[in-house]
Amino acid sequence: MAQLNLQHLDKIYDNKVQAVYDFNLDVADGELIVLVGPSGCGKSTTLRMVAGLEDISNGKLLLDGRDITRAPAKDRDMAMVFQNYALYGHMTIYENMAFSLTLRHEDKNVIHKKVLAAAEILGLTNQLNKRPAQLSGGQRQRVAMGRSIVRNPKVFLFDEPLSNLDAKLRGATRREILLLHKRLGATMLYVTHDQTEALTLADRIVCMSMGHVQQVGTPLELYDKPNNIFVASFIGLPPMNMFDVIFLDGKLKGRGFEVELDDRQKHILRNQYGLELVLGVRPEDIAVGENMNVLVSTNENLGMNTLVHGYVGSTDGPRVTAKLRGWASYKNGDIVGMRINKMHFFDKDTTQAIREED
Amino acid sequence: MNEERSYMEVDRMRFTKNTASSRLAILAIVFNVLYFISIYKSDVGNYYYTALIGVSIVYNLVFMLTTFLCSEGVKNYNRSYSKVLIIVGILQIVRIFILPLKMHNTLMSSAPVESTLHILNYYIPVTKDLVVMETWQFVRVVIYLAASAFCLFRSAVINLKKSRALNDHIANLSSQA
Repeated sequence: MAQLNLQHLDKIYDNKVQAVYDFNLDVADGELIVLVGPSGCGKSTTLRMVAGLEDISNGKLLLDGRDITRAPAKDRDMAMVFQNYALYGHMTIYENMAFSLTLRHEDKNVIHKKVLAAAEILGLTNQLNKRPAQLSGGQRQRVAMGRSIVRNPKVFLFDEPLSNLDAKLRGATRREILLLHKRLGATMLYVTHDQTEALTLADRIVCMSMGHVQQVGTPLELYDKPNNIFVASFIGLPPMNMFDVIFLDGKLKGRGFEVELDDRQKHILRNQYGLELVLGVRPEDIAVGENMNVLVSTNENLGMNTLVHGYVGSTDGPRVTAKLRGWASYKNGDIVGMRINKMHFFDKDTTQAIREED
Repeated sequence: MNEERSYMEVDRMRFTKNTASSRLAILAIVFNVLYFISIYKSDVGNYYYTALIGVSIVYNLVFMLTTFLCSEGVKNYNRSYSKVLIIVGILQIVRIFILPLKMHNTLMSSAPVESTLHILNYYIPVTKDLVVMETWQFVRVVIYLAASAFCLFRSAVINLKKSRALNDHIANLSSQA
């Protein structure tokens, strides 16, 4: 397996549109990195630059210390799994999986061994004589992965591989990818716009927006210590509530509510006195209590939890979503007292997080 | 090492097609096509306007259809298609003795006078008799038919061997399971 270093990568198209700005990332051997972000943020472009399917405008790409910035895709020893599987419909699963090795004129018996081994890993042994059309979406995606595995590449690249699958199958295939990563110990770069995939799969997540890297860190770091408002709102479902507040008299005062701060929080905000801030609160960090009165607009029961959507104070107040434990049955127009358990602070101008270490 | 290799080769057949047999059957069709497009080469007047040539044309079509069907059958290691291929191969050999040989032994009775070969042969006798099918053409069509027959036999034999090995292998795997 391999180490991958992306150093100051830029992608500028011929029409001068820049898709990726100064992308830096060191991927350790056997690490699973997930690039996550909304559509058009440059994550797939970055992956395609790594794969050699897009030219790198500026910067360097190193694989095990070897400069492969200008190397053609076929010489990069990487395998890519696409969203649309890219299987050959007229070939059997066996032939699809063996195809890349056949093109390299490898010994037929060696190919056979590799295909059987990959099929065993992916649970496709009984499907080898079928054609792609006879398989489900999840099985097809496994075939696409199998085609990559037989090549034994240094790096696996996944470009939104689960996007074509329904929710149930997506969950199952996601777990299979995770098991595969553990089993192979392979270096993997995985692109998705689904933050659930990112949080469940990644060793580290790269969160991107508008071609810029917003934050690189473990899933917990991104969830618990988001660098800025974008990451805070992108990671987490439902997204983090954002309130405009002002720090006065040891309290955060927003429209229709006040929150008393403890000494640690006051210390964090010691330089923000009298300034406008953005207070971020995750829906799951809100419970029934006394910090604010919420005018309920909708109540969604999810079984274990209830999502309560509403406004702080009145319909003119800021919107708020709370994820309450258990089954609640609030009605439209109910006023519910709520308490904030955990807060994130952001600078209103720069949108950057204000944290203890800052 | 060799044992493992041969095991792998047989095991591989579970997932791969019998392309060797299939391609040989297709090659047999190609040789047959070469045969029937070269049979009309010589300028032989109205010799061909008989029931025999009509039957020959129909047989060519039947042959191509049957052999193509067999080529698909042997691709999947189906043994019964080998038998059909052998029968068709024997018929290809038999065909040598029907139309080509008959034409080679038949003197040209109504060759057109403007035939250069005919006129030349009249004044300067190069060959003893002017036959419907000249020797060089006869040899050529015999080669085509023989080659076609050989391909059919070879295809059938390969398929028989492979299918037997595959069936034994699958039976062995089933008993192990």
